[in-house]
Amino acid sequence: MEILTFQDLKTTPDIIHEYTSFLKENNVPIIIDNGSYQCRVGWANSEAPILTFKNLLAKPRKERSKKETVEIPQLQIGNDIVNIEAVRFQLKTQFDRNVVTHFEAQERLFDYTFMHLGIDTENIVPHPIAITEAFLNPNSSRQLMSELLFECYSVPGVSYGIDGLYSYNYSDKPPRQDALIVSMGYHTIHIIPVLDGEIMFSNSRRMNIGGFHVVSFLHRMLQLKYPAHTNAITLSRAEELLHTICLIALDYRVELNKWMDPDYYETNTKRIQLPYTANVCTAGLTVEQQKERKKELARRLIEINARKREERLAEDEEKLQQLLEIQENDWNDYEQEKAFTEYQIKNYEDLQKNIAFLTSRIEKNKRKIAAAMNGEEIVEEPPIKQVKTNKFVFETEKALQTFVQNAKKKRQEILNRKAARKQRKQDMAKRRTAAGQERMRIISQLARKEKGNDDFGLRDEDWDIYKTISRDGADSDSETENEKLLELEEIIRTHEPSEEDDTFGPGEAHQLHIGVERYRAPELIFKPYMIGSSEAGLSEVIGYVLSLFNSDDQLRLASNIVLTGGLANLAGLQERVHSDLISIRPFKSFSAVSVLSNCTLSSWYGAKAWAHTDEFKKTLITRRDYDELGADYLRAHKSSNFYCPTPKEQLLDVDV
Amino acid sequence: MSTDEVKVEEKPVFKTVSFQHTSKSANKKRAWKSLKQIVAAERALPWPEDHVHYSSINAPPSFKPAEKFSDLSGLPAPYTDPQTRLRYANKEEYATIISLPMDITAGYLALRGASSIVG
Repeated sequence: MEILTFQDLKTTPDIIHEYTSFLKENNVPIIIDNGSYQCRVGWANSEAPILTFKNLLAKPRKERSKKETVEIPQLQIGNDIVNIEAVRFQLKTQFDRNVVTHFEAQERLFDYTFMHLGIDTENIVPHPIAITEAFLNPNSSRQLMSELLFECYSVPGVSYGIDGLYSYNYSDKPPRQDALIVSMGYHTIHIIPVLDGEIMFSNSRRMNIGGFHVVSFLHRMLQLKYPAHTNAITLSRAEELLHTICLIALDYRVELNKWMDPDYYETNTKRIQLPYTANVCTAGLTVEQQKERKKELARRLIEINARKREERLAEDEEKLQQLLEIQENDWNDYEQEKAFTEYQIKNYEDLQKNIAFLTSRIEKNKRKIAAAMNGEEIVEEPPIKQVKTNKFVFETEKALQTFVQNAKKKRQEILNRKAARKQRKQDMAKRRTAAGQERMRIISQLARKEKGNDDFGLRDEDWDIYKTISRDGADSDSETENEKLLELEEIIRTHEPSEEDDTFGPGEAHQLHIGVERYRAPELIFKPYMIGSSEAGLSEVIGYVLSLFNSDDQLRLASNIVLTGGLANLAGLQERVHSDLISIRPFKSFSAVSVLSNCTLSSWYGAKAWAHTDEFKKTLITRRDYDELGADYLRAHKSSNFYCPTPKEQLLDVDV
Repeated sequence: MSTDEVKVEEKPVFKTVSFQHTSKSANKKRAWKSLKQIVAAERALPWPEDHVHYSSINAPPSFKPAEKFSDLSGLPAPYTDPQTRLRYANKEEYATIISLPMDITAGYLALRGASSIVG
């Protein structure tokens, strides 16, 4: 069985690109696909986007307690964020759904963008900007974007367009006049009908569900499935899973029925290895190591003792030798006196006594050393004996089996008792259960005050009532019981090593088995009710949008349904949309669904192609337009929103 | 405080130093309007009759009945556990459900968007 591993791709910080004199002198437009997931930036003459980063910034919190000492933490922007999971809770984006609302964050990201493009002109970014905006972007949002670009960066001109339309209008094949564009983004999915090259704004629809929802759905689902690995299952990993192993079922019901078959489950489940440290599983080895270490220590102690004994023996022998010499030598009195004082001996008898004492001590030491020599072998035995005592010797196989059965029974009893307590505790906590209601009844009875005849506490048994109403029940999981349980488990393990343990590899506990989830997560696009949203699913909305047109136009739209955006990369999406479409369209009517090539980046390439057209220059919003026609002004073109000046608010006051 | 921040930031050369966001609210916690506020404000304006704006293209609600899937396995779920309100497909799953701790069952309900008491 193949086991997959997470790539855990890390971003590499962007380099600062060279700002060539060609770029500087020719006012080459900058193309920005400002998506709520990623931002892609490049020059109008670049082959591909030269900057691609997530539209995120991480602002570490200042520690309030020690204001003076702590240096101000570094603000990380875009690809500066190397390990996104480390700063997950500090991430900020300028987007609220698919609309830019937080312009301070947008300013930071523009700083990052222009800095890494290498722009070094003072107080000006002398390039027209082609930037994408949300479909039907609120005027106020565009106003702030223009304000930021014109007043902070002094750009000469801006052109706004819609990502999905850029990608349709400038894809490989020349665009047809009629299309139903399905632009699948990170937070929203837009269904945009185009007839005769005109965008039908009023009949477009936006689903507020996107890649983000699918990823978080998958993320949470796996966390709940593997509560032990909650922290190891990160959002980035869920995202990786979506990109690598998730696909869309042609018919979800049929797919689910297949998964009910255990064999199908076995062969189609993907196993993914979470990183783990192996030493978690080597608890048994450490016991061995501990024994080894103890033995080693004992051996060293014995060695030290032996050396000491030998030293003492040598010392004693030498002294004895000298004393014997004194005894044997026929010295004169003076010399004898001198020798005696040297050895602190009073007289001849004392000398005799000393010699006798020394000889006996030497004898003793010699015996001890001999014993120690044998002892070394003895010392090694006790640990082995200990192991043996754990495993009782049984006369017959049957006796062993009954013993193990007994242990198992006892263990089960303890487990049952535990489960019963737990159940009771749960029931107590809830109001509707019988146990809970009984508890409430007793409590209310206890609380009832009857004047005069309150004899509660006269008998000791009265107090037992508190045992019955306490949430823990009469007894709780006691220490001794837990110990007993461990002991029994140990016995069962030593006498009956289960086969399970042998096949259970060290990493197996750290594997994610992803089966139905492969289909279940992306199915969210078609069934938003899976996360409690009341919105219709993708196919239903497509059907709804088609129903807003007359049957001729319906046919024109249905025969050219185009999927684009990052989510359109999902395997099986095209087939699914087509099959759903066939089921809602009139019998045998023509319909076609296609996915744009390179749908993730196609809107950047589209915007780039747009910047090379003459219309781009014509519809460019200049600084003068900004000053004279209003900050939210937009000159419409075929890939853009339409412009309707914001009505004056005073009118509202008068009317209402 | 504000002087500190200015000192720390080294402004890139291409920026206009004097630029200040005009619509940044003084309230530090909610410096920027959320999309919800923006859309509500946009809707309140006296637009021309046939005008289309951000909130008018929300997808319609689903007209199909929601299918029931097991919270644990995702398989079609004919049963609901009355205690936890979790849906399950077979008795093995039920055995799992009754042993699940509260936080997990609550997590499953929240994931399905069914944790509210009203719903």
